[in-house]
Amino acid sequence: MHKNLAEKYRIRIYPEFVGQDKAVIDIKTFIKEFPKKKGAILYGPAGTGKTSLALAAAKENNLEVLELNASDLRNRAKLEEVLKPATQQQSLFKKGKILLMDEVDGVTGTDIGGIPELIKILEETKHPIIMTCNDVWQTKLSSLRSKCKLIEMKALPVPYIEEILRKIVEKEKIKRDAVFLNQIAIKSQGDIRAALNDLQSYQLVDSAVDLSEKRDVEDSIFNILKKIFKERQDFLNIFDTTKMSLDEILLWIEENIPKEYGNEALAKAYYALGNADVFRGRIYKNQSWRFLVYQNIFQSAGISYAKKFPLAGFTKYDPPKRILKIWLNNQKMQHKKTIAKKYAKFVHCSVKRAMRDFSMIKLILKRYAIQKQLQLGDEEINFLSNGGG
Amino acid sequence: MGQSDIWTERYRPTKFEEMVGQHEIVKRVSSLVKAMNIPHFLFSGPAGIGKSTLALIIVKELFGEAWRENYLELNASDERGIDVVRQKVKDFARTKALENVPFKVIFLDEADALTKEAQQALRRTMENYTNTCRFILSCNYSSAIIDPIQSRCVVFRFKLLEKKDISEVVRRIAEKENLKLSPDSFETIYEASEGDCRRAINLLQATSSVALDINSEIVNMIAASNKPTGIKVVLDYALAGDFINARDKLLDVMLKESVSGVDVIKEIQKEIWNLHIEPEIKVRLTEKTGEAEFRMTEGSDEFVQLQALLASFVLAGQGKAT
Repeated sequence: MHKNLAEKYRIRIYPEFVGQDKAVIDIKTFIKEFPKKKGAILYGPAGTGKTSLALAAAKENNLEVLELNASDLRNRAKLEEVLKPATQQQSLFKKGKILLMDEVDGVTGTDIGGIPELIKILEETKHPIIMTCNDVWQTKLSSLRSKCKLIEMKALPVPYIEEILRKIVEKEKIKRDAVFLNQIAIKSQGDIRAALNDLQSYQLVDSAVDLSEKRDVEDSIFNILKKIFKERQDFLNIFDTTKMSLDEILLWIEENIPKEYGNEALAKAYYALGNADVFRGRIYKNQSWRFLVYQNIFQSAGISYAKKFPLAGFTKYDPPKRILKIWLNNQKMQHKKTIAKKYAKFVHCSVKRAMRDFSMIKLILKRYAIQKQLQLGDEEINFLSNGGG
Repeated sequence: MGQSDIWTERYRPTKFEEMVGQHEIVKRVSSLVKAMNIPHFLFSGPAGIGKSTLALIIVKELFGEAWRENYLELNASDERGIDVVRQKVKDFARTKALENVPFKVIFLDEADALTKEAQQALRRTMENYTNTCRFILSCNYSSAIIDPIQSRCVVFRFKLLEKKDISEVVRRIAEKENLKLSPDSFETIYEASEGDCRRAINLLQATSSVALDINSEIVNMIAASNKPTGIKVVLDYALAGDFINARDKLLDVMLKESVSGVDVIKEIQKEIWNLHIEPEIKVRLTEKTGEAEFRMTEGSDEFVQLQALLASFVLAGQGKAT
């Protein structure tokens, strides 16, 4: 059978994982210490060998692999049906089992109900569960994160990829010079699978590699922040490599500016962010997407050059807290809003005013007769008797 | 409808002669109403000086008992966009007026909350239904209303109520509700109301829920609870160089007390002059504050702009201007 190179040369044993020593050690400990942690998440950019490492772990320990793909099992019912019995049965031939759940970040939208289910299964399973994903820091995975051992797979440096390519070229008897391999390696941006696919596709064509055509690598938000705050590079297309919206990135930057800047630089950075936001407002107001380029630049270079030299060393970036706080507050204050609405209609004023004067109004609304007149519900009355916010 | 226990409603004037202040306007409006034919009106002036009340008196005089069926009240700052306003107007204007008047009345409160574009759309709507409806628009500043609308309306500029007017209203209510007010509490209520009669009455009723013997101390206590309190603390944090606490506190204040970004800006602008910093820095900070407020009205994100402003305060705390 004619296999593609990426599949044919999939790594199967631990020693072959070049440049991933830490990850190999981590997964060994995970298997050894099981069930201390019942699940492990292998995360990192595409083509760094996450699935391969999981498969290798099974092979090295003589375990049977039950492979599942989250993208295929996009709902609670199926997760329950397939994963659950498997966790509690013993394997027939091998010593034990590993459950491999590829691409957990593929669980989206309405299927998110699958995540709590997965967590429940994690708690009950008798076999180690290994999951893979690109971006482990997404909010939807936060509950999963805390239950699992996190193992990072790094994008492979160019020389490593070159070396792998060189060996394969030799075995496959493909005639290619070192420059060509080097070009493919650079273009792959650390994605070994991409490099092998490229090698295969160029195998028969005698042309130079088009370096301008970079692979679409999903940059994590942490990389983007690092580029802005530390590395100062690729400003013009810095946001092209992520699926995160510009507005969401703005929130991340907003949250983390104080970690990198103080005093004058702090003021300058927020001044730039303010400008980015002004252009964001203009885009929305007039649908002038032309202004996007200005938002882009203020939000990247503008922030970056708020001071002469970037702060050296590692900074731990936090996800934006603002949206969560607003949400929590809305949950807590939903009765305030409905009461204000009823009151406003009754006394011919705007809801906004009623909200603003609420601390005064809530005293007036203490009287039962008034509560009845406004037809307040039990929960609303409760809310008022408990202090009204 | 029975009498309301909310005093702003119970004691709301229902006849022209009961209106407090605004004598000239009342005189002119009442003569128009007596002729049973009114033009479109634009009432401008600050909150709580009788704009909604006069509109209500107009419809009650025009339609008598049937005023509810012939009157639509909308608040532009609460409606989601001009399309909602237009749809509601359309639904309401479709049916003919009852009784012996040939039109219905639509009261659009806080019309200056509409953008210029939305006002253009409103102008078309006003024209389309001018045979069946009369509009009464209210706003804080008539300058915020586009000229084409102003020219279609008779514009009345309401005056701020004087201290004696507000005190008279308070005295009358206190008498009917059997409250004892110390002489100085009138002054305090007026000060806290900032000339807003609705707020004065609310303050009186809120205070009466705590004590029947009312003095200025209790009034002050209740009034203070209604002011966004945290802003000073926010600025203190910023001036001390603690940006992170300043912004966390700011978000808390805005969320817990339902204060908008513009309201925060107003507080900051007032507070700047009480700070212990060099006057020229105060001027620079005021400029920054004004810019932030302008940006918000232009559709910028309130919290981003406020953070940028706070960062300027951090510098000001070190004696530096940006």
